[in-house]
Amino acid sequence: MTSWKFSIAAVAAVALTASAASADTIKIGFNTPQTGFAAADGKSVLTGAQIAIDTVNAAGGVNGKKLELIVYDDQAKPKFAVPIATKLIQQDKVAMGISGSYSAPTRASAGVYQNAKVPYVSAFAVHPDITRAGNYVFRTGILGSVLGKAAAKLVGEKLGKKRVVITIMKNDYGKALAAGFKSVMANYGIQVVKEYQYSLRDRQFGPIVSSIKGDNPDAIFDTGYWFVAAPFVSQLRAGGVKAVVVAQEGYDGVKFIEIAKKAAEGVIIVTALDRDSKDPAVRKFMTEFKKRTGYGADMVGASGHAAVMVAAAALKKAGSTDRAAIRDALATIKVDAITGTLSFNKLGEVQKSLKVQEVRGGGWHYHSEITDAKLLTPPDK
Amino acid sequence: MYEISLLTVMCFSVIFALSLNLITGFCGQISLGHAAFYGIGAYTAALFTTDGGSFWLALPLAMAVAGFFGFIVGFASLRVRHDFLAITTMGVGFLFTGFVRQQEFLGGEEGIAGIPDPGIGQIPYMLLCAVLAAAVIAFSLYVKRSWMGHAFDAIATDEDTARTLGIDVARYKLTAFVFGTALAGLAGALFAHYVKFVEVESFDFIESISVLAMVIVGGIGSVWGVVVAAAFLSVMPLLLQVFADFKLLFYGVLLFAVMYFAPGGIDSLMRMLWRRISGRRTAG
Amino acid sequence: MNYSDLLVQGLVEGCIYALIAVGLTLVYGLLRILHIAHAGIFTLGAYVGLLLTNETGSFAAAFVITVVAVGFFGMAFYRLFYEPLLDKPPHVALIASIGLFVAMEEIYRIVFGATSISFLAPPLKETVEVAGVRLEEGRIVVVILAVVLIGGLAVLAGRTRIGIAWRATVSDAAMAESFGIDLARVRYINFFVASALAAAAGIMVALLLNQVIPTMGGVPAYKALAIIVLGGLGNVKGTLIAALALGVIESFGTIYLDDVLDRDAIAFAFLIAVLMIRPQGLFSRR
Repeated sequence: MTSWKFSIAAVAAVALTASAASADTIKIGFNTPQTGFAAADGKSVLTGAQIAIDTVNAAGGVNGKKLELIVYDDQAKPKFAVPIATKLIQQDKVAMGISGSYSAPTRASAGVYQNAKVPYVSAFAVHPDITRAGNYVFRTGILGSVLGKAAAKLVGEKLGKKRVVITIMKNDYGKALAAGFKSVMANYGIQVVKEYQYSLRDRQFGPIVSSIKGDNPDAIFDTGYWFVAAPFVSQLRAGGVKAVVVAQEGYDGVKFIEIAKKAAEGVIIVTALDRDSKDPAVRKFMTEFKKRTGYGADMVGASGHAAVMVAAAALKKAGSTDRAAIRDALATIKVDAITGTLSFNKLGEVQKSLKVQEVRGGGWHYHSEITDAKLLTPPDK
Repeated sequence: MYEISLLTVMCFSVIFALSLNLITGFCGQISLGHAAFYGIGAYTAALFTTDGGSFWLALPLAMAVAGFFGFIVGFASLRVRHDFLAITTMGVGFLFTGFVRQQEFLGGEEGIAGIPDPGIGQIPYMLLCAVLAAAVIAFSLYVKRSWMGHAFDAIATDEDTARTLGIDVARYKLTAFVFGTALAGLAGALFAHYVKFVEVESFDFIESISVLAMVIVGGIGSVWGVVVAAAFLSVMPLLLQVFADFKLLFYGVLLFAVMYFAPGGIDSLMRMLWRRISGRRTAG
Repeated sequence: MNYSDLLVQGLVEGCIYALIAVGLTLVYGLLRILHIAHAGIFTLGAYVGLLLTNETGSFAAAFVITVVAVGFFGMAFYRLFYEPLLDKPPHVALIASIGLFVAMEEIYRIVFGATSISFLAPPLKETVEVAGVRLEEGRIVVVILAVVLIGGLAVLAGRTRIGIAWRATVSDAAMAESFGIDLARVRYINFFVASALAAAAGIMVALLLNQVIPTMGGVPAYKALAIIVLGGLGNVKGTLIAALALGVIESFGTIYLDDVLDRDAIAFAFLIAVLMIRPQGLFSRR
């Protein structure tokens, strides 16, 4: 079984990186859930990050040194994230850190990194307050509020749907998406028929589906993650709701289609990864990811990859492992990553154009792009 | 420093574990929802200090609020017993998380960030936690030897017999709940100002199980056993990073193995060892 | 808002709860053990059923094999892990069971991977209309299964030798033994039935969601604990009623109670309210 072999390899890798600390490598700290409820995302993000590390090292590393990822399991819990951040900074003496974890542990460790003045890049944690920890904290993932605005443009302008139901996942991500969507929807003539909330532990949506049927919307904007979304979309279609489902990065993985099967057809999302891209870096990432994990690439894996690429570019630009120099490099950098061309604003948020992908014939495919720079501008304070 | 960070975690975990030991260990009232009181303490302190309140006032305030809710839940222990109480307290835990998730003023699912630093520095904060832990250990030892400790013990052994002996069972049970939950609130306040961020997942059912595991692995009712178990189990996941993939499995197996082979926990193992050593001494 | 829709959805969910909770209450009734690891057995059923279906291509065959196999697994589980703990104080088995549950979830993650797996070609996905309510075939099968399996169990318990032996043991183990009933055998059969029911629930949940993950047992298991307490620990009839009632209450609660309390907490709010008024549950045996 591939996944079984993978776990052994991952353990070996973690054990090796933890012990083999040598002076000829540049160390990057990496906290990620490898056990417990969030382990699936942890596995994806770590795989993406390791692919990036291997790519950089195969090309000779950075400033003549190889990159080394120091990985610790935080179980997605703040209580473990704080001592781990301390350990990475003080014992492992990493040049910088990357969070391959959720918002809660990332928010907790961002403060530790900021206090120690060590650069910290969040790969896919979305809470708006993360970068507000200070000028040493950056985010390569896109903010929920920005994605939400882009989704409103997609629904109202590109698809021409005006009567919309919003289904909100009750966490920072879902709420930020919904807020972003609502903040600009009037510009596109969208009217919200009704809003529903659900928790990310919910899998039975019968009651919500029956209610949506009565609302009879033109489109449904859903803010959930794929593992919640797949049963949701299946149950919507089984319940006879035919409105188009518009969603976001949280859906972006092959698993969503594997679970929802036929019901997934026609779902449209705003995301950062174009799966039909001819870019060799994207193609290589997709095949390598599948080879290492046994399942198709997802957005979480791509964010891990992008975060490491940004780190590598910053280290190169800084020309040393001086933490202040790396921070300054990050602040002014422009990187072509697989999730788009990334650069940071003064808050440490990323600005990039977005891809629209659609499920056709059992796979994600190119639909269009959203390049409206004004709409996609992240907050800068 | 990293070691200081670990020691801090150990110290407030010891307080948390001993607080449950008062209720479950001394007084025999099983609780599967103790993390709720840890959470009440953490949220109380977090709300208070983010609103500009003093950290030193936040500690007794957290104790008072947690103890107040403990008093209410204590009444439940007068109504239901044994397995019913286990599930009722488990329900209290779920009710706490279910309620917090929906409350905007508690940060909902997102939690409360930006809890201010107590402003005393990392090492003094660790020492503060250590001093408080030592005080709770001393308090536990004192209670155990006092008349109240004997009354608790009688209730834990057989409630009905205790009642016929003239012990005011209701009063002692409520006392155990108030003391135990107030101390859990203290531990929660210390936790909140260590992580500087509270969210509801930190106080879920798994956390309740974890603290119960500390009490049981230490040896139910034993003060020193629980201290050792809490100190070890609280930082075990961080120490076992090398076995990253297997540490939760190890944890589960450990819980089972202790129950299977040594239901008395570390306490009974230490006693056995002691008996062997002293036995040899008298023989030789 | 369509009330009949909400009611039917709730009843289907209640049937799933019933399949899980009946096993739990059977174990408690006989052994006084809160069998938390029951959730691990539920998840095992989901994994085995899904992998067998993908391997053989036949959902029906995989279902039958899984239910029987997991039933036997439950017997072995009892023999290895619980039997030696029977004479210890009740908290010992409870904590041991929690430890086993944590360990099982981790073993599934290490063996099957942390990421969800799905049916290659999930059956029973068409929708049919019953009395104005559109339902997936899989949901109708859940209801049929609950009625047939639990109904069959009731018939067995009332009419057969082993059923009578089982009931005698539940009401007074020492007395039953003195009448020549083989306690060990009754307990084995008890665990077989409980585990087989959990496995059936596991496969059906796997099919309805078309995803199996290591931690899928958690939430239903905790709710099942609330259900068996509401039903009056060890009381099968009470458990059934409580399971269906909770399904319906949650269904309406999702729409009408959402601002106050998380859906997963409704069961416990209901439970605590009931226990404060009736400390022995809604339907106590005495």
